[in-house]
Amino acid sequence: MQGGSSGIGYGLKYQARCISDVKADTDHTSFLTGTLSLKEENEVHLLRLSSGGSELVCEGLFSHPNEIWDLASCPFDQRIFSTVFSTGESFGAAIWQIPEPYGQSNSSTLDCVASLDAHVGKINCVLWCPSGKSDKLISMDEQNLVLWSLDSSKKSAEVVSKESAGMRHSLSGGAWNPHDVNSVAATSESSIQFWDLRTMKNVNSIERAHVRNVDYNTKREHILVTADDESGIHIWDLRKAKAPVQELPGHTHWTWAVRCNPEYEELILSVGTDSAVNLWFASASSEKQASERSAEASRQRVNPLLNSYTDYEDSVYGLAWSSREPWFFASLSYDGRVLN
Amino acid sequence: MATEAAPMDEKAKRMRDLLSSFYTPDPSISTPTSSISTSFDNINGPSFDADQYMDLMIKKSNLDVLLQRHVQMAAEIKNLDTDLQMLVYENYNKFISATDTIKRMKSNIFGMEGNMDQLLHKIMSVQSRSDGVNTSLFEKREHIEKLHRTRNLLRKVQQFIYDLPARLQKCIKSEAYGDAVRFYTGAMPILKVYGDTSFKDCRRASEEAIETIIKNLQTKLFSDSESIQARAEAAVLLKQLDVPVDSLKDKLLEKLEQSLDGLQINPDEASKLAEHNVSSKDEESNNQGPAKIHEDAVRGFSEAMRAYREIFPDSEERLFKLARALTTTHFENMELYIRKRVSAADFLGIFRIIWEDVVLMDEVLPEAALSDLSAEAAQVTLKQFVARTFSHLQQDISDTLLKFDINQKEVVDGEVLKVVLEASGKAEFRQLLDENTGIFVKMNDLLIGWIQKGFQDFFRSLESHFLVLSGKTSSSNETEGLVEGKSSEKIHAGLILVLAQLSVVIEQKVIPRIAEEITASFSGGNSQAFIPGELCRVFHAASEKLLQHYIDTRTQKISNVLRKRFKTPNWVKHKEPREVHMYVDMLLQQLEEVGKEVKQILPQGTFRKHKRSDSNGSNTTTSSRSTTLHSDKMARSNSQRARSQLFETHLAKLFKQKVEIFTKVEFTQESVVTTTVKLCLKSLQEYVRLQTFNRSGFQQIQLDIQFLKAPLKETVEDEAAIDFLLDEVIVAASERCLDVTPLEPPILDKLIQAKLAKSKEHNNNNNKTTVSS
Repeated sequence: MQGGSSGIGYGLKYQARCISDVKADTDHTSFLTGTLSLKEENEVHLLRLSSGGSELVCEGLFSHPNEIWDLASCPFDQRIFSTVFSTGESFGAAIWQIPEPYGQSNSSTLDCVASLDAHVGKINCVLWCPSGKSDKLISMDEQNLVLWSLDSSKKSAEVVSKESAGMRHSLSGGAWNPHDVNSVAATSESSIQFWDLRTMKNVNSIERAHVRNVDYNTKREHILVTADDESGIHIWDLRKAKAPVQELPGHTHWTWAVRCNPEYEELILSVGTDSAVNLWFASASSEKQASERSAEASRQRVNPLLNSYTDYEDSVYGLAWSSREPWFFASLSYDGRVLN
Repeated sequence: MATEAAPMDEKAKRMRDLLSSFYTPDPSISTPTSSISTSFDNINGPSFDADQYMDLMIKKSNLDVLLQRHVQMAAEIKNLDTDLQMLVYENYNKFISATDTIKRMKSNIFGMEGNMDQLLHKIMSVQSRSDGVNTSLFEKREHIEKLHRTRNLLRKVQQFIYDLPARLQKCIKSEAYGDAVRFYTGAMPILKVYGDTSFKDCRRASEEAIETIIKNLQTKLFSDSESIQARAEAAVLLKQLDVPVDSLKDKLLEKLEQSLDGLQINPDEASKLAEHNVSSKDEESNNQGPAKIHEDAVRGFSEAMRAYREIFPDSEERLFKLARALTTTHFENMELYIRKRVSAADFLGIFRIIWEDVVLMDEVLPEAALSDLSAEAAQVTLKQFVARTFSHLQQDISDTLLKFDINQKEVVDGEVLKVVLEASGKAEFRQLLDENTGIFVKMNDLLIGWIQKGFQDFFRSLESHFLVLSGKTSSSNETEGLVEGKSSEKIHAGLILVLAQLSVVIEQKVIPRIAEEITASFSGGNSQAFIPGELCRVFHAASEKLLQHYIDTRTQKISNVLRKRFKTPNWVKHKEPREVHMYVDMLLQQLEEVGKEVKQILPQGTFRKHKRSDSNGSNTTTSSRSTTLHSDKMARSNSQRARSQLFETHLAKLFKQKVEIFTKVEFTQESVVTTTVKLCLKSLQEYVRLQTFNRSGFQQIQLDIQFLKAPLKETVEDEAAIDFLLDEVIVAASERCLDVTPLEPPILDKLIQAKLAKSKEHNNNNNKTTVSS
């Protein structure tokens, strides 16, 4: 997002919670969003930034049978994405393929590639393996972590392994470590848990209550960013999991989501229920020194908040950096507005 | 006949004249007149003329006289002739003999020349010989003379040495050690060389005497009763006697060092000293106790130092070292002493004592640069003291805070704390400076700098300490709070609020006050280390942060309640609402708690009444409008036109002015409470959005919100915002509801009344139990 705070807007018809960057689309800066409406027909929008960068164009509009709680684009096939949906009483997760040719017809139907139907409870999210070609997926519900192997040509997904996190930890979300394909971070009520996918065991955890969202820094190993309900944004070094490396004030209300910029390691974007999108600068040097002279540094350091975009009128839930052009990001507010 | 006699006389006379004229070449000169007168008659005259004389005679005289005359004449001629003959003869003889003599003489003289030469030669050789003999004998003669003199001297020396023992004894008796030593040292070389031989006894005796002298001198040196001069002399004499003075010196200095231990002010003593100092101030005459003793001791020490300095001028280095050691130990002890808690007065008391010591010693050893050393040390100590005082101050404050932690009722402590802070901050350093102006004028500037810096650092550390206490910065504290559970967390929250208020107080009152103090009494410091503006800023920021943190912790607790409420039931299968849910009670209870805490600690907003009436007036319209909109919306949603309903809500939002939910928090009771309520409601809304409700679920929410409305409005400043947020919750619930059918208002009212009655009853019960208990 360049040129100040006035971004390019796009309005969805209904309320929406999730937006995802289409990583596999190398030619365009594209985003997928899904609407969240109990009573109406829900839609998946494929948005594309026009070549001039001045307009968001709806490239495809696909109807989705249920309200979408989470949406993730496949990292190797731009036409495949996963959703977590809810029928109001029960949850489900599925992998969809955008039919070809797409774009022209309104509300064309999606092809269901596979249904991830091993869950009973409330499904929270589906993660794609970040390494690119791998066809592994993880879906999470409140108690379980399921690793899937997807075969898109056969249109099937098999459960590779499944592990219960136990009743006490209600998992709420997670992130796949981009530096280690066998490691996944999952947020639960009282901690961040790290799972080893080979053994499906919880190997490590950071005790932290009410973590809403987690993201790995794609450029720097061991660095993890979390968003909390109350205490804002924390940056962790996984090697020193006792205390956060750096703390950012976050938002005036809950910080809902946080994302690291895929190119510039210092840039962190966060959205919150105070209708603001904040761009943070967590400089590498200050991170290193923060542990040594945190009190002193926090006083002297320049305000880490680079910019705050407050164009929204409702809580902002969705957030995605563009992987193709790292200075673009998309954020999505509850009332269905997309801004770049 | 007379003529005849006369001729007779005349005749002799003539003869004589003739002879004499023979020998005398010029007789005429003697008788010129007579010759003239008698020229005719004087034959002997030169002018005699024989013819005339004959003529005259013939004429005058007759023949007889003439014949007589003739005869006479003939006789005379004859006489004369013989006389002449005799004369010639005699002369001839003389001549011959003279010639012979001359002849002999001549022959004699002829050989003499050679003899003379020979003689000369011989004389010369004799002379050179005698010279050679003379020179060759000279050295020997000299040597002999020297030997002679030496011999005399030796004789004298011998005498002296033989006398020496006796003389030494005499000296010992009369204690004239100086003379004795002089004698002995004079005799020493001789004794050394000839001691084994000639003066054996003498040597032994004198050595014995000297031994006793040395002994006496040593005792003299060691005895403190002797005068310094005497001792110094003794030392000098001993040194002259080649006694190993260095070892003596070492011994003495060791003794001095040992005495140093006695001089050290150990901390216990120090406190005693200080006490006595104080007590002696109270009752001057009573006892000056250890202070006096110490002073005497130091005086003695310095005297001793002075003595040693005079005695051993070469040992200054050592003395310097000693004095330095003493001062450093002094200051070290002082540091130890400071480590415990001391008042400025006590500190100054000891400091003064030490300084006096130093001055005393400095008088003795001006080159030791003791004053510089001690000034340096004093600087360090002072600095430490200032730092320590500040840290004690901080300790005090945190202690008080912790006390508050334990006993929550002591909110007043905050006020006490303020007083403590101000009072101690002022008095301690004021005193310090006042005292110091007397003592360390040169350090004044430095001191002021330190104090200013100290204040600055103090406030800084206080701020960070506050933050740590509040658990904002240290995660360990926070986790601790989590582990300890809810009760401790409650206290925690209250503490944070106290801290916030305290920072405000510091910012608004304490810092200006201290700045005033500093300008009043500490002005003139070259470095302006104390920057009140910056500190104010820091504390302002801290207070805001703390307040924010307080609200955060509060809302976090409430949102925990809410989370449990919304996570646990299955909202899709919710039963019909029968009463207001429990969580509302809990919510209100929490808010009440917040209100109580806030009321205890924070000041009331001055403009409250004012604003309230104001907002009341303006608010009625908004609330009524929102309710109308709401009911309108509900009616529509009843008709299952959810799509247009969504549109409606958006429209409603457009018309309604956008309410600022997240306003800046102020340091008033109302503001804090309002912010807390707002954040809670926002959380509520977010939780609602995450759920899906059936009809009953929605109705439950509606009921709860309706119930909340009244009490919240009572407590809260900004009614419009609360209204807005409550509506938002209901809207969110309706959005997430499968079947939106609101409860009928009468049923709502009835349920709320029931709840109110119940809570009243509960309250009454509570009151009763409290009264009965």
